[in-house]
Amino acid sequence: MNDAVLRAIRTRRVTRALTDTPVGHDQLQTVLDSARYAPHAGNRRLHRYVVVTRPSLLRAVRMVSPGMLQRPMAAIVVCVNWARVHDYGFPPASPGPYIDVGTAAATLLLAAHSTGLGAGPVTSFSRTALSTILNLPAGVRPELIICLGHAATEQPPAMQRQGGPRWGDLIQWERG
Amino acid sequence: MTSEAEEESVRVLDEADAVELLAYLMTAARTQVDEAAEYAPMRLLTAAGRLAEMAEPNARAKLRPLLRDIRQGCSETAVQAGDPAGYVERLDALCQAVAEYLVRWLSLDRSP
Repeated sequence: MNDAVLRAIRTRRVTRALTDTPVGHDQLQTVLDSARYAPHAGNRRLHRYVVVTRPSLLRAVRMVSPGMLQRPMAAIVVCVNWARVHDYGFPPASPGPYIDVGTAAATLLLAAHSTGLGAGPVTSFSRTALSTILNLPAGVRPELIICLGHAATEQPPAMQRQGGPRWGDLIQWERG
Repeated sequence: MTSEAEEESVRVLDEADAVELLAYLMTAARTQVDEAAEYAPMRLLTAAGRLAEMAEPNARAKLRPLLRDIRQGCSETAVQAGDPAGYVERLDALCQAVAEYLVRWLSLDRSP
């Protein structure tokens, strides 16, 4: 059993408060490179990754991203090349490309955690505005942002849910 | 006797802050179409918290405590929307703080 991997999975948290310490280029490169190893159906390479470190660009990205509570020092925007998705013959409502955005995000978050960075995903942003700000080519749409930085000592309280199902209630072993 | 509202008003936002808030509100209107209903008040709270944060440095001393309360309250409230009763209670407390400020600011507690 690989304890290090399990420990990383169990100790990773979404970081909502980041310091203004810059993210090192090597750290950023390591996190970015991890997405290569994320499980993607058919290894079709339908996704694009946009790295943002310029302060003015980060500020603009945050302005059009209502879900971005943190002020990241770097961000990786996971995009889907919908033109290629279409060329591949996926129907428009196919969930496949979105599932692969999720696997990339999970991998990037774990990689950030392993390099000592704080990270948090953001999906609440204007796709149209962000595409314009990042000058993305036609057919490529941003679907998720990974915010990166160094975690602040004080974090906002964790999201508490009352009255929801317990973990065990979510699991079915074998046939129901 | 003049009310606080009739005293000289101060400018609390610069253009950069206003643009930031404008962009937030505009894009939040769009993203809300695709988001869970419980996110709507959360986005408004975040906007209120950001406005309070932007305004606080230049606001009059009498307004600053309210801005601090709102900033802190929004930060604590925005991530606990899964507790509906507590959520409403916290929002009501913030609304009451705003109303109490308005009463003082407009001198509503004085005889006309």
